[in-house]
Amino acid sequence: MIFNVIYGEVARFVTAGPAWVVTMLITFVLVFAITALVPIFLGWVERKYSARIQSRYGPVYVGPFGLLQNFADIMKLIGKRAISTNVDRLPYEFVPIVLATLSFAMVLIIPFGGANLEFISVPYSLLFLYVFLAVSPLLVLMAGWGENNKYAMLGGFRGVGQIATYELALIVTMISVAFLAGSYNIVDIVNGQSGLWYGAYLPVTLIVFALTGLAIIERAPFDIPEASQELQAGWKVEYSGIRYGLFLIADYVRLMIVSILVVYLFLGGWLGPVLPGFVWFIIKTAAVLLIIMAPRWTLPRPRIDQFIKFGWNWLLPLSIVNLVMVGGLLLI
Amino acid sequence: METLKGIRLNVGPVHPATHGVLKVVVDIEGDTVNKAQVEMGFLHRGKEKMAEVRYFSNYYPIVDKLDYVSAINMEVLYASLVEKAAGIEIPPRAVYIRTIMAEIQRIMSHLVYIGSIGEDLGNITGMFWALRERELLMDLVEEVSGGRLAPMYMTTGGSFYDLPQHFDEKAEKALVRVETKINKDYNSMFTKNQLFLMRTKGVGVLDRYMVKKYGITGPNMRAAGIDRDLRKSEPYLAYDKVDFDVVTGEDGDANSRFMVRVGEILQSIRIVRQCLRDLPEGPYVTKTPWLMKIPDKRTFVRQETPRGEMAMYMITNGGTQPYRLKIRSPTFFALRALEEILVGVKVADIVVTIASLDPVMGEVDR
Repeated sequence: MIFNVIYGEVARFVTAGPAWVVTMLITFVLVFAITALVPIFLGWVERKYSARIQSRYGPVYVGPFGLLQNFADIMKLIGKRAISTNVDRLPYEFVPIVLATLSFAMVLIIPFGGANLEFISVPYSLLFLYVFLAVSPLLVLMAGWGENNKYAMLGGFRGVGQIATYELALIVTMISVAFLAGSYNIVDIVNGQSGLWYGAYLPVTLIVFALTGLAIIERAPFDIPEASQELQAGWKVEYSGIRYGLFLIADYVRLMIVSILVVYLFLGGWLGPVLPGFVWFIIKTAAVLLIIMAPRWTLPRPRIDQFIKFGWNWLLPLSIVNLVMVGGLLLI
Repeated sequence: METLKGIRLNVGPVHPATHGVLKVVVDIEGDTVNKAQVEMGFLHRGKEKMAEVRYFSNYYPIVDKLDYVSAINMEVLYASLVEKAAGIEIPPRAVYIRTIMAEIQRIMSHLVYIGSIGEDLGNITGMFWALRERELLMDLVEEVSGGRLAPMYMTTGGSFYDLPQHFDEKAEKALVRVETKINKDYNSMFTKNQLFLMRTKGVGVLDRYMVKKYGITGPNMRAAGIDRDLRKSEPYLAYDKVDFDVVTGEDGDANSRFMVRVGEILQSIRIVRQCLRDLPEGPYVTKTPWLMKIPDKRTFVRQETPRGEMAMYMITNGGTQPYRLKIRSPTFFALRALEEILVGVKVADIVVTIASLDPVMGEVDR
């Protein structure tokens, strides 16, 4: 893991005690930079991509090809004055910080295209990632309540209903993959796919996982809790300035984590012929990202009751059937 | 004092999805609407009163902003009213020019409808696509009149300018593009998109009984299966000389209202093509004095605008200004039905139902 590599380098110059502190600081800065750069880059990709779909140009003026546009936007968000009246201060301030911290933690433990390319290796990294993704109903409800706004509260209620429905299907699909690999460690899961990708064994699970992942991170067209038409911005409506910027960061980091998880769990991760693993990882993740970005710009949003019914009636039974099938496979 | 179960939500007048300044006060429980009250009048500018203090020719800029999404239809309606009151005959070329421009404006208006319903469903690309196609027609209007949203093209006795050279070729180019986009691209985005059908089928049903009860006209009425179109039943302009079908729906829900409008775009394209083919030569305007007096008279004119049957009733008393001008706006009556059809729907369907009625508040509030 990267932490050990950095520590090894630092320990050549510093004695053992301070070396830990220095290593932690360096790791923190690195992870922070990645967490902050992901929305800037992915946001640019999405803006260009959606512009192509909608016959527009997208950002062009700031930086080459408008690459720095999102950087400028984040700067603007930092500089903005936060206006909030009659809010419940504790949950209101708590939620964006926790969401950003969770995305920070996810970047910390997920491998970036190689067995040793994670910052900190955790034995049950898949379960950790699940917990970081699935803790959000609580936060959504807290934000919706704390903002003291009717639209925000409606959004919070919707968010709880939607995410609670879908995280059950998400964990069942994750468990079926973990059964196949015999481990909750992402590195072991990827190494288990050296023969055949799990996506080939479990194509239905792959689709269920992608859909539930999108529903959990409230990615459009499943952005029902923050439906910008009827609820304006749902549970985010009263946030402005960098608090809203933290939501954007969390959104894009979680989008990236979900697409990386699709690659790791079903598409063989960094395994592939000829090219080095890191390149395969980049290619696969980019392809998955572009595919799961497209529905936001092409599909209308389902209604909350239709979507929750879809989750309980189709996705959860499908994922359970898949789990039983995996169990059968393992018995044989 | 009544106690309220659930939440009272003010949707509008500055809500981003209510198409202008419509305000709907809804009582909701969970995500379901129990009661809805419509409040209108936020855009009231006293247009009927304004008519009483202006010369007949000076009222054209005001009718432009009546229904600002279909301004030329408004101009045609008012011009017909003044001509009927003053007994002015307009030359055949002007009749055809008016028909062409009115139908082009109808296509533009329906494209805005398509875009805005897509946008209210959370599909912003629909808006961009529809406005992209509308832009082609907007360019035509700009070339003809010099204006875009409020073109000021019609005048008493005909139009301000003749059609420019090679207008028919340019119009044909734009129409072909709109036609192919609607027949091909819009299928994947709207007409055959399962999520779109899920969201619009069975939403905001206005059946035949309710249509008659509220006096709803236009595409909203035809979507309920009533075959009535003033262009057919009492033809004005050149509509009796062209061949077109009246598009009707069956269910009266948001989806059939949408499909009726899509069908009407295709019919309007047919009308424009036939009119461009048959366009007669000759003068395009009957010269009328700028300051004219209309004798003691009561005049009533009604026409089929993109939003329904719009009518104007004018009382003149021999002066240079009307004594009274009454405007009947079609979507005012459609919006009244919201109080009934919004009960029991989910919050997400409020905006879809409003958008599917196609209100333009400039015309509702006058």
